[in-house]
Amino acid sequence: MNMQAPPPVTYDKTIYHLKRGSAGPALDIENLDLYYGPAQALYGVSMVIEKGLVTALIGPSGCGKSTLLRCINRMNDLVDNLRIDGSIKLHGENIYAKSADVIALRKRMGMVFQKPNPFPMSIFENVVYPLRVDGVRDKAVLEETCERALKSSALWNEVKDRLDQSALGMSGGQQQRLCIARAIAADPEVLLMDEPCSALDPIATAKIEELIDELAGQYTIVIVTHNMQQAARVSDNTAFMYLGRLIEYGDTEVIFQTPRSPRTQDYVTGRFG
Amino acid sequence: MTAPAETAAPTTGPVAHTPRQRRSMKTPRSVLIADKAADWVIRIGGVGVIVAVFGIMLFLAQVVVPLFTGAHVQSAFTSTQPIGTEPLFMSVVDEYKTVEVSVDNTGKMHANHIRTGAAIDIAPFDLGGKMPTAFARTPTGRELAFGFADGTLQMATLKVGGTVIDTKDVPADLRRLNEADATDGSAVYTVVSSDQTRRVSIAHEIAEPQQVAPEGTAIVAVDYRVGGSAERPTISFVTVDANGIGRLSRSESKTNMLTGKTTTSLTSSELPGLPEGVKVRTVLMTDKADEVYIVDIGGTFYRYDARDFDAPVLAETVRLVADGVQVGSVGFLIGEQSLVVGGSDGSVNVYFRLQREGAKTTDGYQLVRAHALESQPSGIVAMDVSQRGKMFVTSDSAGNVWLRHSTSEQVLLKLPPGQSVAYRTLTLAPRENGVFATGTDGKIHGWDVSAPHPESTLGTLFGKVWYEGYPEAGFTWQSSGADAFEPKLSLVPLIFGTIKATFYSLLFAIPIALGAAIYTSEFVHYKVRSVVKPTMELMASLPSVVLGFIAALILAPIVETWLAAIFFAFVMIPTGLFLSAYLWQLLPSPIALRYGGLPKFILIFAALILFGYLSYVAAPVFENLFFGGDLKAWANGERGSSAPFTAMLVFPFVFLGIFVSSDAIVTQRFGFVLRGSNRTSAGLADFLRWIATIVVAAFASYALGLVLISIGLDPRGGVVDTYVQRNTLVVGFAMGFAVIPIIYTISEDALNTVPEHLRAASLGCGATQWQTAMRVILPTAMSGVFSAVMIGMGRAVGETMIVVMAAGNTPLLDWNIFNGLRALSANIAVELPEAVRDSTLYRMLFLAALTLFVITFVVNTVAEAVRQRFRKRTAQL
Repeated sequence: MNMQAPPPVTYDKTIYHLKRGSAGPALDIENLDLYYGPAQALYGVSMVIEKGLVTALIGPSGCGKSTLLRCINRMNDLVDNLRIDGSIKLHGENIYAKSADVIALRKRMGMVFQKPNPFPMSIFENVVYPLRVDGVRDKAVLEETCERALKSSALWNEVKDRLDQSALGMSGGQQQRLCIARAIAADPEVLLMDEPCSALDPIATAKIEELIDELAGQYTIVIVTHNMQQAARVSDNTAFMYLGRLIEYGDTEVIFQTPRSPRTQDYVTGRFG
Repeated sequence: MTAPAETAAPTTGPVAHTPRQRRSMKTPRSVLIADKAADWVIRIGGVGVIVAVFGIMLFLAQVVVPLFTGAHVQSAFTSTQPIGTEPLFMSVVDEYKTVEVSVDNTGKMHANHIRTGAAIDIAPFDLGGKMPTAFARTPTGRELAFGFADGTLQMATLKVGGTVIDTKDVPADLRRLNEADATDGSAVYTVVSSDQTRRVSIAHEIAEPQQVAPEGTAIVAVDYRVGGSAERPTISFVTVDANGIGRLSRSESKTNMLTGKTTTSLTSSELPGLPEGVKVRTVLMTDKADEVYIVDIGGTFYRYDARDFDAPVLAETVRLVADGVQVGSVGFLIGEQSLVVGGSDGSVNVYFRLQREGAKTTDGYQLVRAHALESQPSGIVAMDVSQRGKMFVTSDSAGNVWLRHSTSEQVLLKLPPGQSVAYRTLTLAPRENGVFATGTDGKIHGWDVSAPHPESTLGTLFGKVWYEGYPEAGFTWQSSGADAFEPKLSLVPLIFGTIKATFYSLLFAIPIALGAAIYTSEFVHYKVRSVVKPTMELMASLPSVVLGFIAALILAPIVETWLAAIFFAFVMIPTGLFLSAYLWQLLPSPIALRYGGLPKFILIFAALILFGYLSYVAAPVFENLFFGGDLKAWANGERGSSAPFTAMLVFPFVFLGIFVSSDAIVTQRFGFVLRGSNRTSAGLADFLRWIATIVVAAFASYALGLVLISIGLDPRGGVVDTYVQRNTLVVGFAMGFAVIPIIYTISEDALNTVPEHLRAASLGCGATQWQTAMRVILPTAMSGVFSAVMIGMGRAVGETMIVVMAAGNTPLLDWNIFNGLRALSANIAVELPEAVRDSTLYRMLFLAALTLFVITFVVNTVAEAVRQRFRKRTAQL
């Protein structure tokens, strides 16, 4: 009943305890500030994403984890009045450099969205879409790619006999795996997943998680999730974000078992969020 | 904040947990009633709309159906009192089908009440006691001529007419004939209404005999016409005497104003070339006395060109019946251009004179059989021709009486033979509402018929019809004209006009509207869209009459003056915009990004204006290059070659073909090379590739153009021809203006409702905005976009005022974009004031409306079916 003023929020520096991969960093985010008009959404985020590992971004709603993800393949470019300071380097190349080719950049990053979003086309056409937009017309190449991508996304056996049917007739889980297949068809360097399981039932979620496990190693995966168990299960590194700030970033086990920041502690134990 | 809670506790404290008063869970009556009422109102409204639409359709159909029902007999009768059995020269019937007057072969006149056969007194002609050897009547039957054995000719007039008089003035001692009619002996009285009575009486007069043939040579055949004015009548006549000499004569009467004395002068010229001893069956002459036909008993027609009265020429000798067949009956249809020939084999054919290349005649004309009508079982013996239209009636020797129409070639009625085997004369009532025959049994046989639309059949409305004087059968719409004019009512030119207007305006509107919709929904900032879209919608609110008015009075002259520039702009502006877009690509990306917003938008407009201006400036060059220096003269076929223009038409397709086929080879390799290079040099390389493709395509299309022309696919004479100021191009512009906003708005909405996540998915795959729009957004929104196009098409089909005002209203059947058209809707608007209720034209306009209705119905149904197919694909989105 008592109306007490909330304690002043103080921000410590980000705590890092990163688990290193064998292949070095894929992405290097340096001091990223992001403004939607006058409102700042990201505050000096710096993180290194290790090649071949799964990195999870967790945090309460509105903490900026999806925004950060969308910065990585410049999907935020379409948003009005958006301003970004800092840099993101993909294999040492600043993607926000003036001469950067956004289209080429996106081809190097596959993206999976919160809601399964297959195109209203056949399953086959959905998978090979990235190749189509690249102008690939060789049927053999397309078919081979389709099979490879569907196999990688553990969908091949379910749909191999109905590749020419509409993708919209699939179940939600299948659709999401199809979107993953589409994302990896172009053989991207990084796979970005924006809460890929939030619209799925537990069984479909389990399948996607299995898939992420399988894809880890082949691809650098960045996954945004609301589900802390999921982050704990699938990721190597976890970044905890809060109110646009990166609080703690490092080995998933450490984050979930012995977090170094009290705020992380509160969040992962369910005290807020 | 906390204190009051403690003091309030005892009152509510321990027993506070009593069950809450439950609110009533019953639905209130008022809600139920409102629900029911809404249900019924909506239901009735919906059913009402459906019923109304079907009602309109049924109403239209009901008005239209009589066009196709031919004719029917309302009643048939046979007179009871005998009228004699002597052979008759002719018989006529008055307009009200009351009295029949006949002339027998002794020159005696008989008048009878038709329905009873009761004789009516009539004074005989004074023939001087001679027996006529020849007889003629004009088509109306008001002028008669008798030829005699002594070579003289006597002209007479006969008038059987009705006047309406006051019932008070009717003589008292009338003899009743039947329930309707009574007679005083010399006239028949019919009560029309309580105070009005119609009096049908006969008046006749005979002139003095004139010596035409040499004294003592009998006249065997005669025909005559009265021309000139009432004060100075000119009587032309043609006679053949017993020696086989044909004569064309003219007698002019002059009345001296002072003395009141009339003097008659007679001039004659002989018709050359009749064979010795010809046995003449009939002679005929036209109203203007410029054509004379002499028909011999064997069936040979001698056609004389009598345009030079003093020196008539035998123009054509031809048989118009099969060999061994005689001419049974022959006569002119109204207008005296068509000749109906009934043969002794029962055949009935209609011939008219046409100018034909290589005609073996002296005047270049030739008799052509235009209509072969159904043959009757026996030889034709009598016929009578309507003085209102192309209807006529024929009877054969077995007593069959058939009512026919020449142009539509249909037999309207087949009246069965009666007890009396043959008929002496046959008469079609002046109002085309009855057929009367004098039988050899001495009775009048009559049929009251109704044939309101004899000229229309499905065949004449939708098929080719050979109208009098036309070189061949064709599709013609011409609803009104001078006297003796036959309405030509083919719906085909009108349907064609509608299709043509729709086609050309959509050709103009669809690319612009869809392009604009894709542009604003996918490429511009939403703030720009929020300005552009309402502006476009404002365009739609312009009344089409204003658009038509502007198109006709302002746009048409501008287009005419700057035709080449406008044509050139069609090439120049798209090319220019492509060019500008490419140049923009060449800009270093920081600059391109920085000026990507409003400056780019303004630059687009600047480019539009610049290239518009360039096409204006460079138009003469363009005209020289493609159209031999003068577009309009070129379109006429007066100068220049078609090859450059054909090349221009096929260029886009050739270009696309070369582009796509080269793409497979070049891009795969070339693109690989480009991948490493930066934006500007890649753009430049690509630009050079475009230029190369364009140059190659230009040469290829020129070659293709030459090939196309050599195999006869010349656009001139097809899609371009003689220039008319009010033309389809202008209609296309104006109608485009009306249609573009509709297609734009609806398709823009459809494109906009494509879920954002699909756009994100596509962009996330590395697709460009254009690829996203083309490969994902447009296919997904296809059902809506298709609807938009179809609604636009519906608007174009039904659009009236623009086509009325800007299309020139010429019902033509050609694709020439420089010529006008007449659409179904415009036709209704233009001709409605002329249509008399229940006339053929009136019903035709309803048929036009029904056709429009059906076209719209079909278009909408097909559109909906296609739309549903598209929708199915995206239904689960």
